Amino acid sequence: MKTQTVSFTLNGESVTATVPQSWNLLRTLRDHFELTGAKEGCGEGECGACTVVVDGDAVNSCLYPVMEAEGKTIVTIEGLEKTDGGLHPIQDAFLNNNGVQCGYCTSGMIMSAKALLDKNPAPSEDDIRTSISGNICRCTGYVQIVESIDNASKMMK
Amino acid sequence: MSKIQFEYFAPETIEETVALLQAHGEGCHVMAGGTDLLVKIQHRVTHPKVLVGLGKIKELKRISFSLKSGLTIGAMASLADVAAHPKIKKHFPSVAHAAASTANVQVRNKGTVVGNICNASPSADNIPTLLVLGSRVNIAGPDGETRMPLADFFLGPGISALKPGQFVTSLNVPVPETHTGTAYLSLSQRGQLDCSAVGVAAMVVMDKNKCKDARIAVGACAPIPMRTTAAEKMLIGKPLTHKAIEAAAVRASKETKPITDVRASAAYRWKMVAVLTIRALIEAQKNARKQ
Amino acid sequence: MEDNTIIGKDIPRTDGRVKATGEAIYTDDIKLPGMLHGKLLRSPVAHARIVNIDVRKARALPGVKCIITGADTPKIKFGNWRLFPATQDEFPLAVDRVRFIGDEVAAVAAIDRETAREALELIKVEYEELPAVFDVDSATAKGAPVLHENSPSNISIDRKIQYGDIEKGFAESDYMHEDVFTVHAVSHAYLEPCSSVAQADIDGRITLWTSTQTPYIVQCLLAATLGLRENDVRVIKPYVGGGFGGKMELRPWEFCAAFMARKTGRPVKFTLTREEELACGRRRHAMKLHSKVGFKKDGTLVAKDLKILLDGGAYNSMGPTATFLCGNFGAMLYRYPNYRFFGQHVYTNKPPAGAMRGFGAPQSLFAAETQMNIAAKELGIDPIDIRIKNAMVTGDEIPDVATISSCGFIESLEEVAKMCDWKKKRKNLKNGKGLGVGCYSFISGGVFNWFNTQYPFSSAEIRAFADGTVHLLTMASDIGQGSDTALKQILAEELGLKMADIRLTAADTAMTPQADLGTWGSRVTLMAGNAVIDAARKIKEQLFGAVSAKFNLNVIFDMECRDGRVHAAGKPDRGMSFGDAVAFVQKTNRGEPLVARGSYTPRGKGLVSPAFSFGAQVAEVDVDKETGNVKVNKMWTAHDCGTVLNHMAVEGQLEGSIQMGLGYALSEQFVMDNGRTLNTTFLDYKMPHAMDMPPGESACIETYEPEGPMGAKEAGEGLASPTAPAIAEAVFHATGYRCKDLPITPEKILKGLGKLED
Repeated sequence: MKTQTVSFTLNGESVTATVPQSWNLLRTLRDHFELTGAKEGCGEGECGACTVVVDGDAVNSCLYPVMEAEGKTIVTIEGLEKTDGGLHPIQDAFLNNNGVQCGYCTSGMIMSAKALLDKNPAPSEDDIRTSISGNICRCTGYVQIVESIDNASKMMK
Repeated sequence: MSKIQFEYFAPETIEETVALLQAHGEGCHVMAGGTDLLVKIQHRVTHPKVLVGLGKIKELKRISFSLKSGLTIGAMASLADVAAHPKIKKHFPSVAHAAASTANVQVRNKGTVVGNICNASPSADNIPTLLVLGSRVNIAGPDGETRMPLADFFLGPGISALKPGQFVTSLNVPVPETHTGTAYLSLSQRGQLDCSAVGVAAMVVMDKNKCKDARIAVGACAPIPMRTTAAEKMLIGKPLTHKAIEAAAVRASKETKPITDVRASAAYRWKMVAVLTIRALIEAQKNARKQ
Repeated sequence: MEDNTIIGKDIPRTDGRVKATGEAIYTDDIKLPGMLHGKLLRSPVAHARIVNIDVRKARALPGVKCIITGADTPKIKFGNWRLFPATQDEFPLAVDRVRFIGDEVAAVAAIDRETAREALELIKVEYEELPAVFDVDSATAKGAPVLHENSPSNISIDRKIQYGDIEKGFAESDYMHEDVFTVHAVSHAYLEPCSSVAQADIDGRITLWTSTQTPYIVQCLLAATLGLRENDVRVIKPYVGGGFGGKMELRPWEFCAAFMARKTGRPVKFTLTREEELACGRRRHAMKLHSKVGFKKDGTLVAKDLKILLDGGAYNSMGPTATFLCGNFGAMLYRYPNYRFFGQHVYTNKPPAGAMRGFGAPQSLFAAETQMNIAAKELGIDPIDIRIKNAMVTGDEIPDVATISSCGFIESLEEVAKMCDWKKKRKNLKNGKGLGVGCYSFISGGVFNWFNTQYPFSSAEIRAFADGTVHLLTMASDIGQGSDTALKQILAEELGLKMADIRLTAADTAMTPQADLGTWGSRVTLMAGNAVIDAARKIKEQLFGAVSAKFNLNVIFDMECRDGRVHAAGKPDRGMSFGDAVAFVQKTNRGEPLVARGSYTPRGKGLVSPAFSFGAQVAEVDVDKETGNVKVNKMWTAHDCGTVLNHMAVEGQLEGSIQMGLGYALSEQFVMDNGRTLNTTFLDYKMPHAMDMPPGESACIETYEPEGPMGAKEAGEGLASPTAPAIAEAVFHATGYRCKDLPITPEKILKGLGKLED
């Protein structure tokens, strides 16, 4: 399999990886960098469990050819900046509002929420629901997730 | 062979891209956002040997607008870019709306409008609106730049008119005349955010109460996204009465050739083309009056 | 109720933090040195005899380390109904015969996923196709192809229930109604695809990390199919990304991972793709229900005769339990003085149906609740009034089944009616809008010991330490529902400790006490909770003795554990800190650690469940009569789940149920063609997204369940049932179209209204 070296900023650090050209970003994060927070729920961009933020936008890392990561700035759940309590406010909000159940969608949800709140610090409920429309959750019915994100936006003000 | 194994190239110019396509021939695919292509690869529907990513060709990211040349959307302009672009929202609200209703946030951030077109999927949500607006695609290839009406671009499900070595560099949407209104309506079983089982776009140009021009395009009801020209003709030059609209809608439905698949039955699609055509024409007419 | 300090609070789940940081390890996140990657070769045909399998080419592919077929295995059948070995009808890998598209035929382990997948294509299987059947009617017809030789009629199991006098009941009825309902199969669609990693030690003992709801069941059945002793297999459940009933059996890839790990000496991992999950995975039973009900003029239920054919797919899986339960649920909620049920589980050449949230209830209650709505309409009685008239109450007995020891059903009906302003709203809704009600009752775990466990149903061990902490060990399995948090809450409450004082080791069959039947049927809170309380009380006995001696307390004094102290009741100064008390006990026993075991096994609780929950739900819909599109505007729910241990968690369960119920009612289904599942992606398997969810309001009707830990019982699983009948009634109210054939699609509505031809 033809490999190539690709360099990008991952969670604030400059990294390079020599990986098969046909790998996607999710595979690279999980198998090369051993960052397993992003999950593969479907492998085809429908569930959002693999969501990461690339240059400020939420994307499905399963549909992101790793070669296109060259020069990009990528943030995964492992790279969320922490506050004093040890958690990012969005993570705190998910914890305190029961936005987490089985947890498999959680890192993707939180990354979608981060991309939203970075662009729109005071989102409406509609904005929040739209921002996670690419993230499937089978446990929560979304209500407490929406509440978590709303709560995070207020905490981050 | 089931193994997913492709080489990846990221050319920086259009010429380089054409050269790569020519050099690698069959099995070499151009990739814009890749959100559809990578799924097809994952499902072993497509087995590319080479992928040519367009991400490094700066000009393809561009969206430009002038009253004279209309709207040009580069092949790498994402669905999110198009949905949020102030000029598109102002002058082509239905184009922005279609982009905003395609798939989900993550896919819109990566996928492109031109990519959505090039997939030539009969159900692609962006196409019917672009068809009624009389869009054209700009194509680069071994013989230089060519232009093609979007209506001629689709040959079958997943099959476009592109020849070997060619790829679409941008899409052009002409500025509609004044008193033009458009609308796009779609149906699917999940309500919000879904791959449509039926989609209908309408455009009308009004001259007082008379319909100066009318166009209707239907998605997911034939092997290609199609215009229903016979129905359009029934409206042109006539007042847009409810009766006229209903008659045209029935006609539009007869022009389509839907199939039964996992998303809907042919009978339902037929019926819905008529229902949505009526609604789309009424809404388009309303939008035309707003101008 | 006591003045509780932790019970009933919004306690954040204890695993929330690691899940929110992405640190929680799920099975597919595990990577072991030298690990191989496995893939399964599945049957492309619905029914065939395997003539020959040629693996030579595949074996020669560089990177392939092991290939097995049924012929290489011990050929031991498995199935969850161990009590009746004849029901165990599945081989880990097909032996001579395949019975559905997706049946596992061979397995490959290779250095990476790509190589394993490539090798699959090099395996040549020669099939001799056999005639196949795809629905219950053709499978039970005379001369139908037979799937399993020991079930010549294709009916693998049947169940009868009868009490009262059904003929007399109908003779006494003023009004009767008879309907045939069909309900469809749906997917659990848990977000984490199944995954397993097996490692063999030098003696051939197996450690299996697997995404399961039932580590103990997997341990036993894996040992059996490998020809090992139970203690040779250790099953560890990492974090699990949802199960909903779909992960409660031994699965072929668990066997293959273990078998090939022993064969190669290297760890082997299998992770299913979403496509495999949707195309071949377990699903909720499709059923055909024939139901006749009789009422008095005043709306009093007199009799019900229910016949159900369950579409089981190719193997029994959890079908026998479904057959058992759908008959019970047919007589729940209301007083049916005369009841007869006959259920038959039918083999068809389709992916096997298994357990899924609600397990027999969503199907049975769709029919029952729709018939209540039909009867209300035809007798001219309000749908909620007719329910209240017949509702079960605390103390009601269902012959041979159970005594209802707590029941807040009438209160739920009254509350939900109040919340949505039922009577006024139902009268005043405009054309196209409708309001409908549906109800449910559900179990808190099963009583019938189909697995034939030789251990208690649930167990707990508590180790107490002089530093004031305790270690709780239990095989109970949190798969996302939050049982780890609930069990810690119960223990913290019982011992007067903080959540942070409790260390938990769960769901590891080699480390946690034998045994626990796993997570299904909403059994964990009640059963494991009771086991925890049992163990905690044994710890307390010892602590109380020691403190009593130390302070020379009068023997008539009550004692308590509270706020980290052990003391005479109401006299915190007459005692000592929890840790000191533990140290004192330990000293008294000359160094012996303070450890206690507790357990729970339901006894004298009939055949079904120790406790039942109840609830009512109302849906308001807006139907587009031209397109048939249904929009659910709002849902109101009132439910009785006993003592609420954690409000936030119960609410989350309820809202999750609505998402699943909404999908079941309106958009989720398998599109099948001759046994092949056509929609194998989340694009076409249509679960509601965040934007599709209607707003909702809910209320908990708190009752006290005497059999439950601190009065608690089931919450959140039964709620999978009322949504579909509530929406169906609302659609009828809006349009006049009565759905007896789930799901309620736009096309069915238009056909029902005569606007679309067949």
